[in-house]
Amino acid sequence: MRPILSIASTTVGEAIRRRVLLIILLIGVLFLAVAPGLGVLSARSETTVLRGMMLGIIQLTSAVIAIVLTVYMLPNEIERRTIYTILSKPVQRWQFLVGKYLGAVSALAIMMCLMSVVMVLMYWYQQHAPISEIANLLKAPMMYFVQMSLLAAVAVMFSTFVSPLVNFFLSGGLYLVGSLFNPFFETLSSNNNTPAFTKTVAKFINLVLPNFANYNVQNPIINPQQTIGNETQYFINVTVYGVLYILGLLVVGILIFDRREV
Amino acid sequence: MAAAIQTTKLTKSYNSRSGKVNVVDHLDLHVEEGEIFGFLGPNGAGKTTTIKMLLGIIYPSFGEGYVLGKEIGDMDVHRLISYVPERPYYYEHMTGLELLKFYGSLFGINDPALFERLLEKVNLHRDKDKTISQYSKGMQQRIGLAQSLLNDPKLLFLDEPTGGLDPIAHREIRDLILSFRDEGRTVFISSHELSEVELICNRVAIINKGVIARQGKLTDLLRGGRIEVTVDGFESAEAFLKALPLKDTNVRTLPSGFLLDMPELEDTSSVIDSIRGAKGKILSIVPRKKRLEDLFVETVSSKQPSKTITVEESAGANQ
Ligand SMILES: Nc1ncnc2c1ncn2[C@@H]1O[C@H](COP(=O)(O)OP(=O)(O)OP(=O)(O)O)[C@@H](O)[C@H]1O
Ligand SMILES: [Mg+2]
Repeated sequence: MRPILSIASTTVGEAIRRRVLLIILLIGVLFLAVAPGLGVLSARSETTVLRGMMLGIIQLTSAVIAIVLTVYMLPNEIERRTIYTILSKPVQRWQFLVGKYLGAVSALAIMMCLMSVVMVLMYWYQQHAPISEIANLLKAPMMYFVQMSLLAAVAVMFSTFVSPLVNFFLSGGLYLVGSLFNPFFETLSSNNNTPAFTKTVAKFINLVLPNFANYNVQNPIINPQQTIGNETQYFINVTVYGVLYILGLLVVGILIFDRREV
Repeated sequence: MAAAIQTTKLTKSYNSRSGKVNVVDHLDLHVEEGEIFGFLGPNGAGKTTTIKMLLGIIYPSFGEGYVLGKEIGDMDVHRLISYVPERPYYYEHMTGLELLKFYGSLFGINDPALFERLLEKVNLHRDKDKTISQYSKGMQQRIGLAQSLLNDPKLLFLDEPTGGLDPIAHREIRDLILSFRDEGRTVFISSHELSEVELICNRVAIINKGVIARQGKLTDLLRGGRIEVTVDGFESAEAFLKALPLKDTNVRTLPSGFLLDMPELEDTSSVIDSIRGAKGKILSIVPRKKRLEDLFVETVSSKQPSKTITVEESAGANQ
């Protein structure tokens, strides 16, 4: 456990100093800061628009950070030969990969916290909303964090065998497909009018594809059929789903990484 | 003496456009405990590949190897060895001290006194709070050596430890390596800094295109130097030659006398006696030692690198 934690904390130390990530984060924060100003443009329902916009900014920025953070992680270690010194110590490859992943997720948590804080401050400043409403607003970023952890695991798994650029498109593509089309496959597989074969295929895709859409709770346009009864239960369910999926991805990544020449 | 490293037919092949290439080809290495072993070879000879196999970072295609008595890839051995890669790079945001703490934690070591001692040993105790990005190449190499000592290793792998360093840094590194040996550690150095290796290594192997071309004690491998004797007082080169009790010699006429070029192993004093006996005057005797560089160039540029020649203890069996 000790090596995993050391590798994780070193990864955090590196990540929060990476200029690209800081620039992306800065852009996100800037957009959050000006969002209330833009929200005024829409007279209709200012609050809803502002919320949607701020959460959208956080989600998009986090997704970009999650991918950029992870696709270069392993290739950089190999290119700079830092991995050799580590693997020549009593550190197993799985410990290295898990440490790297946990570090990435922790760095992501720090950055998402920062954005959430900015969002809350801006929202409070603009709306003078009560604490309960603000606490409610914070539920979405928590869901996004699980989503981004899942995305990071996808990218880490791919990074054990593809180049960063390919990985960028693979993970990014999977994120989009998993966010946009998963509800479609879900509908297809649960609809009684669907032919049996299509239904099986849809079920399979639905099972294999990481269901990123689970976490887009604030977006009723994308998830029209989603009505959440017990919120806490739903949150627990999708978190468990996320963690299990992440474990699966890491196991696959470790199996590939173990056999790989570095 | 026990073998620190022993490999049998250790082979690594990669697929290239022209088919399968043995980058390391049936390597039989033998490194004894407590020695500084020089692993020499030109660029691309397969040195780094061999080290990575010994460390279990890449997997052999064929053959086997033992490090400190354990089959390669055995994690237990990683507690007893350490490795400084060629042109190493360490996490730049760390300070020297943080770097030692990080690598120490991989062993479960957290001993501030040890970190101080190691920093002092590599003469970085004054720079321990600078980040690695502020370190010079020489300092980076030294902090690398400090981290390599954290687990009190029995065996160290140093891949080109003096590559790209200035003469002063060279000397610092060399002194450190010698101190490792004095502490009873085995040091495996890959290098092509031959003058360096000649100064510190007990035994060497020369690898070329993945094949060991020479392996043995440096003193044995470098046997066969020559001696040059300059004399005067002879009528001609022929007259000088006639006075000598030697066969395999070579005399050149100089403006002031004659130059005799004879093998080192001959009995020098009998030659001197016969020159004196013939009323010759000896102007100078200069031993010309065979240098590692000569051996290296001779080995690497020879046409058939596939023949392995091993010299072990047996005097005079060289070449
Ligand atoms: N992953 C790989 N795939 C294909 N060929 C490789 C791979 N790694 C190394 N090689 C080849 O193996 C050969 C030996 O490389 P190696 O790095 O072991 O040489 P070296 O002796 O350490 O050289 P140098 O002195 O330049 O460091 C080179 O020709 C290199 O191109
Ligand atoms: Mg090399």
